[in-house]
Amino acid sequence: MQADLYVVRHPAAGVPHQLARWTDASIVNAGDGRRAHPTQALLDAYTFRNRFLGFDGFAGKRLVIVGDVVHSRVARSNVELWRKLGGEVVLCGPPPLLPPEVAPGVRHTHRLAGAVEGAHVVMALRLQRERMTSGLLPSIAEYVARYQITEEVLRMAHDDALVMHPGPINRDVEIASDVADGPRSVIEAQVASGVPIRMAVLYTLLVGKR
Amino acid sequence: MSRLVIRNAHLLDGAGDHGTGGVRLEDGRIAAVGTGADQGAEAETTIDAGGALLTPAFLDLHAHLREPGQEVKEDLASGLAAAAAGGFGTVVSMANTTPTVDEPGLVAELVQKAGQLGQARLRPAAALSHGLRGETLTDFAALQQAGAVMITDDGIPVANGRLMRSACEYAAELGLVIQTHSEDPTLRGDGVMNEGEVSQELGLPGNPDAAEAAMVFRDCEIARLTGARVHIAHVTSKRALQVVEHFKALGAPVTCEVTPHHLTLTDAALRSFDPVFKVAPPLRTEVDVAYLRDALRRGVVDSIGTDHAPHTRAEKERDLMSAPFGLPNIEVAFPLLYTRLVETGELELPALLALLQDGPARVMGWSSPRLEVGAPADLVLLDLETERAVDPRRFRSKARFSPWAGERLRGWPTLTVVGGNVAYRLEAEAAA
Repeated sequence: MQADLYVVRHPAAGVPHQLARWTDASIVNAGDGRRAHPTQALLDAYTFRNRFLGFDGFAGKRLVIVGDVVHSRVARSNVELWRKLGGEVVLCGPPPLLPPEVAPGVRHTHRLAGAVEGAHVVMALRLQRERMTSGLLPSIAEYVARYQITEEVLRMAHDDALVMHPGPINRDVEIASDVADGPRSVIEAQVASGVPIRMAVLYTLLVGKR
Repeated sequence: MSRLVIRNAHLLDGAGDHGTGGVRLEDGRIAAVGTGADQGAEAETTIDAGGALLTPAFLDLHAHLREPGQEVKEDLASGLAAAAAGGFGTVVSMANTTPTVDEPGLVAELVQKAGQLGQARLRPAAALSHGLRGETLTDFAALQQAGAVMITDDGIPVANGRLMRSACEYAAELGLVIQTHSEDPTLRGDGVMNEGEVSQELGLPGNPDAAEAAMVFRDCEIARLTGARVHIAHVTSKRALQVVEHFKALGAPVTCEVTPHHLTLTDAALRSFDPVFKVAPPLRTEVDVAYLRDALRRGVVDSIGTDHAPHTRAEKERDLMSAPFGLPNIEVAFPLLYTRLVETGELELPALLALLQDGPARVMGWSSPRLEVGAPADLVLLDLETERAVDPRRFRSKARFSPWAGERLRGWPTLTVVGGNVAYRLEAEAAA
């Protein structure tokens, strides 16, 4: 096929690594199962850098990821990148969606109030409805009551905290509509950041390395 | 009939070390053993063992030979030749074929066909339920009559406890061994590897050790309840083995098996994203491996079964979610365990041999394999000195890949004799 670069999205973790054994072309992981979504993490960090008021580096900045962590490649990649950049990560969600073995060394909590306290970024994750049908959670209502990101929850965060979501969002499930559309939300900026970040990735791999 | 003499060998069996000597094999049996065994009637073939270890051929109570229906992965000829190359003289084949080995006619056909191959002996297992569907019991008595020595749905756990109980009740009456693949299917879920830090790091669905331990507990309880001889296949976790120990201490008629891969690999191997490491039950942690190894020393484990599970290379190059479970290992099992466990001083050689000879024989109620006059001439000559790299291209198995490819091991079988006939002999160029 003579491709110079493959962009790979696959439902099974590890497929980009398997492919790398069989080709010399560059491989961009665009999401493999639950494992990793590197460009999403890059664009989230980029969005934070551009939009956080008086940004002065990632050191001491706290990213709180709320929701279905165990099934989330976005969460795994953000944990990896945010810590690499010197920031601090807190994971929050109901126990079946946040087992203790996820991301060792990162603070885990099942209580939203304590988690969000002083956060610089509050990131809500999409809740798939199949988590209820597969018996992991009792109901949407229970999840909403305990883990939805609302204005009230946000008041506990840092004064300039940003709200992120990797999309697509379930309005009024993991995030209240007025928060998603509110002044702290940078959800649309995240989407827009995807363009320069992915351009940069493609440029670096196709042109920059020559 | 053929006569074969092996001289200048170090004779060792479950009864002890018999020093240097030879054996004379006639009409499929051992006709003479010890010093002077090479004297007497003229032999058709005389083999000088050069001081190598001569011991009864191994028994594998757990191998997937894939015939009928999955000959693209393996067939009786390739699987039993692979077994002989691994030093095994007897193999119990699993029933998860296409169609399932759930009818007496199929069992008889396998036995008849294997008997003409001149490779390792086949003693087939038959399915516990029709089509391994876990719904209705197969006809154990007729299957036994046709040659089945074991009843198992291996590959698929028997979810229905009532069915397992009935199976054990019938098997107890017939004196058949029930072998179980003990994992709770609902707790196992869609897990493709051990659940733990590595599975969470890799984002792969995990299968917790609790799924194994819980089902082992149920199956041991049913053994205790019914008096059936239940052989727990491939115990992989510390928790599951502790459950087996608990029931053994109570005197329940339970035995258990571990595999070469669960004794030598951990879930960390999945970091390579190579589906060759995808097996069921999954590779566990270092804690589990250490516990299994310690259990070998303590005599808690009854047998080492290979769970040789060949697949095509293409199948094992799929992604980790869709690639099938299982790996081929029957040709490297002994050298692997000898090098990793005996040479390192973790386990005595006689203890390892017992897990491949007297142990499985006891599980099945067969007589202990011995180097004695009148015993079947099923023997293996083991070269404990020469180091050779694992070379999957030379496998007799159709599955020519291996987690241990390139690893340098000692303890290779150089000659396997089954029923007095040479089933395997290491070629000179391979030995060089």
